[in-house]
Amino acid sequence: MTNRNPHSATAPQPSRRSVCKNIRADRELYLLLLPGIAVLLLFKYTPMYGVLIAFKDYSIFDGMGGSPWVGMDNFRKLFESDDFLLVLRNTVEISLLKLVFLFPLPIIAAILLNELRQLAFRKAVQTVIYLPHFLSWIIISGLFIDLLSINGGLVNKLLGSFGIEPIPFFLSNAYFRGVLVTTAGWKETGWSTIVYLAAFSTIDPGLYEAARMDGAGRWKRIWHVTLPGISPVIVLMLILRLGSMFTGDTEQILAMYNSTVYKSSDIIGTYVYRMGLGKQEYSFTTAVGLFESVIGFALILSGNYLSRKYLRRGIW
Amino acid sequence: MIRKIAAISLAGALTLSLAACGGNSGNEGGSGSDKPELKMLLQYGRFDPNEDYAAKAISRLTGYPVQYDMLPAEEADQKLNLLVANKEPYDLMKLSAPQFYNLASTGALEPLDDLIEKNGPDIKKAISGVAWESAKLNGKIYGVPETGSGIAISEELVVRQDWLDELGLKMPTNPDELYTVLKTIKEKKNVIPLTASKDAVSALLGDIAAAFGVTTDWVDQDGTLVHQVETPQMKEYLAYMNKLYAEGLLDTELPLNTAAKMMEKFANGQAAMFKIAWYNAPSTIKALEKSDPNAKPALVPFLKDMNGKATVYAASGTTWYAVVPKYAKHKEDAVKLLNAKLSPDIFKELAIGQEGVHHEVKDGKYYPILPKFTDDLNNASNYMTGVDETNYPNYWQARVRKDPTLQSYFEQMQANAEGLIVTDPIALAPPIPQVAENKLNLLQLQIDEMLNFITGTEPLSDYDKFVAKWKEQGGAEMTEGANEWYKSSKK
Amino acid sequence: MDSLTPRMPTSAQAKRRRRDIRRSWPEKLFDVCNYTLFVLLGLSTLLPFVNLLAKSLSSEAAVVAGRVNLLPIDLQLGTYRYVLEDDAFMGALRVSLLLTVLGTALSLLVTTLTAYPLSKPRLAGRKWLLLIFIFTMLFSGGLIPTYLLMHNLHLVNTLPALFLPSMVNVFNMLVIKNYFEGLPDSLEESAKLDGAGHIRILLSIYLPLSLPVLATIALFFAVFFWNDYFNAMIYISTPSLKPLQLFLKELLVSSSDFLRNATLNPDQALNTAPQSIQAASILLATVPILLVYPFLQKYFVKGVLVGSVKE
Repeated sequence: MTNRNPHSATAPQPSRRSVCKNIRADRELYLLLLPGIAVLLLFKYTPMYGVLIAFKDYSIFDGMGGSPWVGMDNFRKLFESDDFLLVLRNTVEISLLKLVFLFPLPIIAAILLNELRQLAFRKAVQTVIYLPHFLSWIIISGLFIDLLSINGGLVNKLLGSFGIEPIPFFLSNAYFRGVLVTTAGWKETGWSTIVYLAAFSTIDPGLYEAARMDGAGRWKRIWHVTLPGISPVIVLMLILRLGSMFTGDTEQILAMYNSTVYKSSDIIGTYVYRMGLGKQEYSFTTAVGLFESVIGFALILSGNYLSRKYLRRGIW
Repeated sequence: MIRKIAAISLAGALTLSLAACGGNSGNEGGSGSDKPELKMLLQYGRFDPNEDYAAKAISRLTGYPVQYDMLPAEEADQKLNLLVANKEPYDLMKLSAPQFYNLASTGALEPLDDLIEKNGPDIKKAISGVAWESAKLNGKIYGVPETGSGIAISEELVVRQDWLDELGLKMPTNPDELYTVLKTIKEKKNVIPLTASKDAVSALLGDIAAAFGVTTDWVDQDGTLVHQVETPQMKEYLAYMNKLYAEGLLDTELPLNTAAKMMEKFANGQAAMFKIAWYNAPSTIKALEKSDPNAKPALVPFLKDMNGKATVYAASGTTWYAVVPKYAKHKEDAVKLLNAKLSPDIFKELAIGQEGVHHEVKDGKYYPILPKFTDDLNNASNYMTGVDETNYPNYWQARVRKDPTLQSYFEQMQANAEGLIVTDPIALAPPIPQVAENKLNLLQLQIDEMLNFITGTEPLSDYDKFVAKWKEQGGAEMTEGANEWYKSSKK
Repeated sequence: MDSLTPRMPTSAQAKRRRRDIRRSWPEKLFDVCNYTLFVLLGLSTLLPFVNLLAKSLSSEAAVVAGRVNLLPIDLQLGTYRYVLEDDAFMGALRVSLLLTVLGTALSLLVTTLTAYPLSKPRLAGRKWLLLIFIFTMLFSGGLIPTYLLMHNLHLVNTLPALFLPSMVNVFNMLVIKNYFEGLPDSLEESAKLDGAGHIRILLSIYLPLSLPVLATIALFFAVFFWNDYFNAMIYISTPSLKPLQLFLKELLVSSSDFLRNATLNPDQALNTAPQSIQAASILLATVPILLVYPFLQKYFVKGVLVGSVKE
C-alpha cells in the first residue's frame, strides 16, 4: 500500500518540448510570482546590506559610511569570550533535546486527535489545547514557578505524598532543562498540531476504506495510510525546524532562568543579551546573528540534501 | 471573489496610510499667536499623552500647543536611537541619564548655555548649581536636569509584629538579633522567616547590608573611590546571607522571586519579614489585613552595625533631562516653553493643580482633593522638564497623602531614617562615559553572582574570581572613570 | 462554496459505525486511554485561563495575596468596566482588528499567489527562486537598515508599516506550496485540455480544494498580526496608532520593570496597574483571536479530495 499523492521530487522532469509548449502559460506563472518577489526584494533584500555592520565598528549616528571596518573582530570577540564553549554546548544540547522530544509530539497528538470518534469532543479539545500558544513566556514562567514551587507547589505536594523530598526544579541544574523542554511542549504542541490536522485532509478516505477491507487494524492504518499521507508536511517541518535550531529558545530561557542554573541553560542568545545590557553593540549583535544564520542555513541545506537523498523529497 | 477582496484591501491599505499620516498633525487651538506647535518625545507612561489633563494645562498656561509621542516601555533606547538617527522631528525630548549621555556624546543634542542665558531666567532660578553640573559635558550644558522629589527613603524591613509578640521576641536592632528572631520564627511558626526578590541589586541590599557597611555604590577610601563589590564588607554581608539561606531563614526561592511574588508571600502569611517600599504599602498591607485580620505589620528600625551605628542609603541625583535635538526646528521656542513651565506659579499648578480644586493647604502642608487630584494629575510628573527644586519636594508630598497607609509608611520611613542617610559620592556627577557604558551589564553580573554566593551555588572562596571577572568586563574601566571625575571635582 | 466541498460517502460512514460496535478490547482500551489523555491535556491548558478569569473577577487584595485559584474571591466586575471604558484599550482594539483583517487578507493573497508557481516542478529556475525565498527566513539586514527603508518610504508611524513587509511569509508560503504539490497533477492537466490558464486553474480548481490549508494559513497570519508587538514598538510612536498587544505588553512590562527602578521614580511605581486589571486585559486581548479557530475548524473536514478527483 503506498501513498498515491504524487510529489514534486518524484514527478518526472518535464521534457524540453513540453516547456516550449507551455511557454505562454509559464509566463503567467511568473506573473503570479511578481507581487511576492517584489515584496521580497523591497523589504527583505534592500536592507540586506545591513549584514556588513557585523564587520564594522558601527555607530548608528555615523551611519554605514562613517563607521570604520574592523574585519572579523566582532566574531573573534564572540569565539574568544570565556563562556563561549559553555553557551555553545548548552545551545546545541537544549536544541537537540527539544528536537528529539518535542518534534514528534504534535504529530502524535494530531494522529491521536484524529482517532477521537466524537466530533464535538475532538473539536473542543483542539480548541482548548492550542490555548497556551497565546500566553507569553513571562506568564507561563510564573505559572510553572507556582506549580513546581517547593513551598506548597502542586507537584512537590504530590511527590511528598509518595515520600519524595521536594525538588527545586527551577534551581537545579539537573532538572531545569527538563522544565524547559516540558513547558515548551505544553505551550506549543497543541498549536503545532494544526498544520498536521490540515494535512490529514489531503488523504483520500478511500485509502482507509481499502485498508479496512484488507483487515488492517488501527495501527496498520496509521502506519500505512496516515503517516505516509502527512509525510511531506513532516519533512517540511523538520527541515525548517533545523534552521531555527540556534535561535528558537532565547525568549523562553530569558523568562525562566536564573543565575543558579546558568551552567545548564545559558545559551548564545541569553549570554549575548546579558553582555549587551545598556550597550549599543550593534556590530557585535549583528555578528552573532550572522553566525547563527549561517549555521541555520547550512543545516537547512544539508537537511534538504539528506532528505532528497534518502526520503526522495525535499523543499526544493 | 478573491480579486475583489484584494482590490478592496489594497484600497483600504492606501486610505489607511493616508489617514494615519493625516492623524499626526494635530490641529490644536492657539492659532493666530506666534507660538508654533512643538513636538515632544516623552518616556513611556500608561496613558494617552495627548488627552491628559496635564497636557492641556501646559498648552493653556504656556500658550504653546504641544504634540506628544512616547518611547515604548521596552527597547526604549533602541527606538530613541532610530528616531534621532533618522531625524524624526522633535523639538524637545525627555531622557534618562544613560540616554542623555549617549545622545549628548554623539553630538545629537543642542548645547543650551546661550539659549538659557537668553530665554531661560526662570529655568536658572529653579535649578541649583549642583544639578547643572550633572547636565554638562565638556563644560557645556546639554539639558535641563530634573532632580525629582528630593532625597527620600523608599524601603525598609517590615515584620509581623503579632508573631513577634506571640513568640515573646523583641524587635531586632542588629544582624545578630535578627538572626535569633528569624531562627525562632522558623522553628515555632514554620513560615519563611525572611523573603526578598531577585529583581535588582538594590533588592538584595538594603537594611541588612547597611548594617555590614554596604550602602553606596562607591566608597571613598583615602580619597580614592572603590566600588562596593571590591570592599571586604560586601563579602561579610554575603557570608551572613549565605548562612541565613543555608539554614532556611531566607526564602529558598529567592532567585525566582519577583517583587510581586515577594509581596504575595508576605500578604498571605507565608513569610514573616521583607523589605517593603512605601509605594507598595497600600496594596500589600490591605491584602495582608484581608487574608489575616489579626495581622499587625510593623517597620523594623534600621539595623545597627558592630559599632552601634545605623546608616541608610538614599538614591539621589538627576533622574531625567529635558533636551533639544540639534536638528530641532524650534529651538528657541522649545527653551521658552521650558522656561514658562518652570516659572513658579505655572510650575505649582502643573505639579499640584489649583488650590480648592485639586489641593488644599492644612498646617502648611499640601493635601490632595480626591478624586479630582488623581483624575487630573496622576500623570503630571511625566510631563515635567526640570523642577522647582526648593518647592517641589513639598508639592510632591501631596501625592503621598492621597492614601492614609501610603502616607503613614512614607512618613514613618522618613522619620526612622532621619540623620542616618548617606548618598553616593558620584550621585551628582555629570554622565561619566566609562560608567554609563558598563553600568547595566555589570549590575546584572553583580546580581547574578550575589545570588550565587547567597544560595551557595558558588562557594564564597570564589569571590575573588568574581571580582576579577567584574573588573575584566568593564569594572576596572568604570572605576578609573569614576575616580577621574572624583579627583577633578575635589580640586 | 459549500457545494464544492464533497462529503464522505454515507455508506462508508454506516459501515464504520457497524465496525465500531465490534471493536476488540485493545481498541477499546486505546480509546479509553486516548480520551483520558486529552481530557487531562485539555484541562491543563484550560486551567491557566480559568485562573486569569478568576483573578480578573476578584478583589485586588485577594489577588495580591495570591489567594485566587480557580474561583473568584470577593467577586467584582469593576475591572472589566474599567478596561472597557478605557479609551486607550478600545482604540488599540480597533487598530488591532483593522490590522489583522487587512494584514491577513493581503498576506494570504500574495502568499498564495507566490506558492502556486513555486509548486510547479516544471517552473524553470524553481530551485533558485525557492532558495532566494528561504534565504530570507534566516538572513536579514537587521533593524537599522529596515527602519531606514521604512523611513524613506514614508511608512514610519503608519499602519501599513506593520503589514506590508510581512506580506510574504516564507514559512506559510512553503506550507501552501507543499499542499499544492500534494494535489494530483491530473487536475491541472484536465483543466488545461479545457483551455484554462493558470490563474483560472488556481482560482477555480486549486483554491476550493485547498480550503483546509488556506484556513490554516489564514489562522497563522491572523495570529501573527494580532500578536505582533515588536514592529509596532519600533515603527509606531503616536499613541493612538498602537495595536492591542503593544498596549498589553507595556501594561505588563511597566508593572514589573518600573518596580525595579522605582527608587528614583516613585510616581511610576504608584501608577502601575492592579493585577486584577492586568488579568482582565490579558483575557480581553486574547479572546478575539481565540474565536477565529473554531470558526475556521469546519474547513478541516477530512477528505476534501474525494469525489472531485477522478483519476
